[in-house]
Amino acid sequence: MKKAKLISIILVFCILIGGASLWLFAKEDGEISVWERRKLQQFPVLKWESVMDGKFMKEFVSYLSDQFPLRDELRRLKAQVLFNLYQQKDNGGIYIQDGSASKIDAVINSGSVDHFTSRIGYLYDTYLKDTDCRVYYSIIPDKNYFLAEKGGYPHLDYDELYRLLSERLSYMSEIEIKHLLSAEDYYTTDTHWRQEKITDVANEIRKAMGLSEVTDFTEKTMGDFYGVYYGQSALPLPPDTLTYLTNDELEGCTVKNFENGSESKVYNEEKYTGLDPYDVYLSGAVSMLEITNPMGEKGKELVVFRDSFGSSLVPLLLSSYSKVTLVDTRYISPDMISQFMSFGKQDVLFIYSTLLVNSSSTLK
Amino acid sequence: MVFSSIEFLYVFLPVTLLCYLIAPRKAKNVVLLFFSLLFYWWGEPKYTILMLFTITFCYAAGRLIENKKGTRAGKAMLTVSVAVPLGLLAVFKYADFFIGTANSLTGADIPLLKLALPIGISFYTFQALSYVVDVYRGDTPAQRSWINLATYVVLFPQLIAGPIVRYTTVAEDLSTRSHSMENVALGIRRFVYGLGKKVLIANLLGSLCTAYRESGDPSVLFSWMYAISFSLQIYFDFSAYSDMAIGIGKILGFRFLENFNYPYISKSITEFWRRWHISLGSWFRDYVYIPLGGNRVKPLRQIFNILVVWCLTGFWHGAGWTFMSWGLYFGVLLIIEKLFLRKYLEKAPSFLQHFYVVFIVIISFVLFNADTFTMAFSDLKAMFGAAGLPLYSADTLYNLRSYGVLLIMAFIGATPLVKNIGKKIEGTKISTVLEPVSVAVILIICTAYLVDGSFNPFLYFRF
Repeated sequence: MKKAKLISIILVFCILIGGASLWLFAKEDGEISVWERRKLQQFPVLKWESVMDGKFMKEFVSYLSDQFPLRDELRRLKAQVLFNLYQQKDNGGIYIQDGSASKIDAVINSGSVDHFTSRIGYLYDTYLKDTDCRVYYSIIPDKNYFLAEKGGYPHLDYDELYRLLSERLSYMSEIEIKHLLSAEDYYTTDTHWRQEKITDVANEIRKAMGLSEVTDFTEKTMGDFYGVYYGQSALPLPPDTLTYLTNDELEGCTVKNFENGSESKVYNEEKYTGLDPYDVYLSGAVSMLEITNPMGEKGKELVVFRDSFGSSLVPLLLSSYSKVTLVDTRYISPDMISQFMSFGKQDVLFIYSTLLVNSSSTLK
Repeated sequence: MVFSSIEFLYVFLPVTLLCYLIAPRKAKNVVLLFFSLLFYWWGEPKYTILMLFTITFCYAAGRLIENKKGTRAGKAMLTVSVAVPLGLLAVFKYADFFIGTANSLTGADIPLLKLALPIGISFYTFQALSYVVDVYRGDTPAQRSWINLATYVVLFPQLIAGPIVRYTTVAEDLSTRSHSMENVALGIRRFVYGLGKKVLIANLLGSLCTAYRESGDPSVLFSWMYAISFSLQIYFDFSAYSDMAIGIGKILGFRFLENFNYPYISKSITEFWRRWHISLGSWFRDYVYIPLGGNRVKPLRQIFNILVVWCLTGFWHGAGWTFMSWGLYFGVLLIIEKLFLRKYLEKAPSFLQHFYVVFIVIISFVLFNADTFTMAFSDLKAMFGAAGLPLYSADTLYNLRSYGVLLIMAFIGATPLVKNIGKKIEGTKISTVLEPVSVAVILIICTAYLVDGSFNPFLYFRF
């Protein structure tokens, strides 16, 4: 073997391995990954028990991976190799179709569907059955509904899923909305729908609940938005733009957070710079919120049982109601709801995405 | 700790190599022993004691056997020194299998021990056994230094996934080994190429196998894709570990023997086993088959010997009836080849011989990778259209599109084509540039995959 080659191989190895390990321990540890929207593992505490039961080793391994130099760039490189060299169609289930990232969800999880319908049934039986409430439900198709089949990706049998739900939730009025949606109505880098694209959906729901259409909104653009799939796909997708719709009525509303008693506006612009800018809408994931609308019709109330898709939809439903209560039973036990409110003759809407229906273990 | 991990590549390996480099010649084995124990302790803190016991026991046994050579006491000492490590292996690896079998045969309700299997116990036990037997046979003198013997048994490159290095192979290297720039460079190249095989081929094939197991849309084609992928995955995974072990060994000045030699190009099962996990095959040949009489016995006895060896070979891979059956499956095929099939095979067209080997091996790995016979039969039924599955499905086509390039790369990589091209350009200017570049590129891409927490299974937890 030529001497130059021998030296080159040894040098390459020493520079890469030695350089990266020195860098790894010399650099300051990061605390959060903006891309992956999570806290990064810090150097674990060294204790005899944690060493003997292997906890220290596990955390140390996570620490090295999380704090590795150029971690984001390496993740991006991996995604490029995977898509361009191997021609693989997805990276950990995330695929790109028509410039939009989505996550493969191919099999109806019947256990999850059972759990979902049973939890909804429990809420209905406990709080709504013997009241004068008008109860509706609507299921939001996730992005795969529009993208997967077109790109040849595995996907749910949506017809079957909707049939199952229709059969099991027949005691409520269904508001069908999927025909009003298309892939363009969702962020390209995130799971959620874009508020500025769903006014027709909101009006369809309002119509079904006997309300008039609302169209007089002003668009307020917050700026670039890198959604959850941006980090997961690790691909250089162009950012979305985060926009919200507002008007005088919405500006006059106050939102009470039952978890900490704080009050805020419908759109919490401070959240834009947080880990998930989508939290701008109603401040993100909260178990129970109460929106008071001074311009609403006195005594007219709406209760919305929802997942995160509801955060951007509910502001478009607010008009006419003096009070809207949002409940997310992923974060509060259904049995505790009665401590905060009672049901009489409100409009009640259950609105969930197919993502949650097919992965409902978090629903209490 | 596994080689294909950030903690090994960027913490353990550089620190170990640095300490080894600066240590004086006499202290190099102490450094290796310390870091090898640390390597094992990292994954198995509690069982490090067990391994140290095995080493110390075999060290003492070796010395005693040598002192009592040719006497009854020497023979008795050999028996004990074989029985104790095997006994430990039996307790930790096979006890629950035997208890479970006894319970199901007799209806008894003996509680299972539920002991965790110490990683690498099958490898280091076999290494320790080879030492005491070789000392008894007079093939090698007993090791005077406990540190040298311990270094041999726990040497981290081959500790948890082989190859099974015989004491006689490295006896000389343990005391006087030389280090050269050429060996270091060749070792690095071998290690990095092995790392690439593991992270960039075997792990991805593993993802395809997982996709099959998790698919809600199976088909005949998908089950064949799974069987082929697993057969390739286990080859790339296992041979990659051997490459990495041989590579690190070379950097440290040890000369380990080859463990895989492109088994999928074989034209008979006999040839396949001369190319697959060579260190295990030769271990069973030298320490079980030949002592049983080998070929120098009557045909019926020879058949019995072959079946015993292959039953044990299967059992070595895991404590389960499926593993034993996998071994017997090969034993029976080897007997059939030996008795009459080989002469017909030799006359058959080359492609037919290859097809025969690949088909037999693929079927065998379906059995090998199944937890139960029911699972194995279910997979086989799916493959042969007896499970009522469609010929293909949307999920199958998706995975075929998604993993097609990988499968082609794996098919090519399982042949000596790339190696032969490398040999042809060896010594040219292209090679002078290409090899360091390929080492850098593979290392960076592997790091990218490992940092991203990609699928990185350890297949030898049952060995």
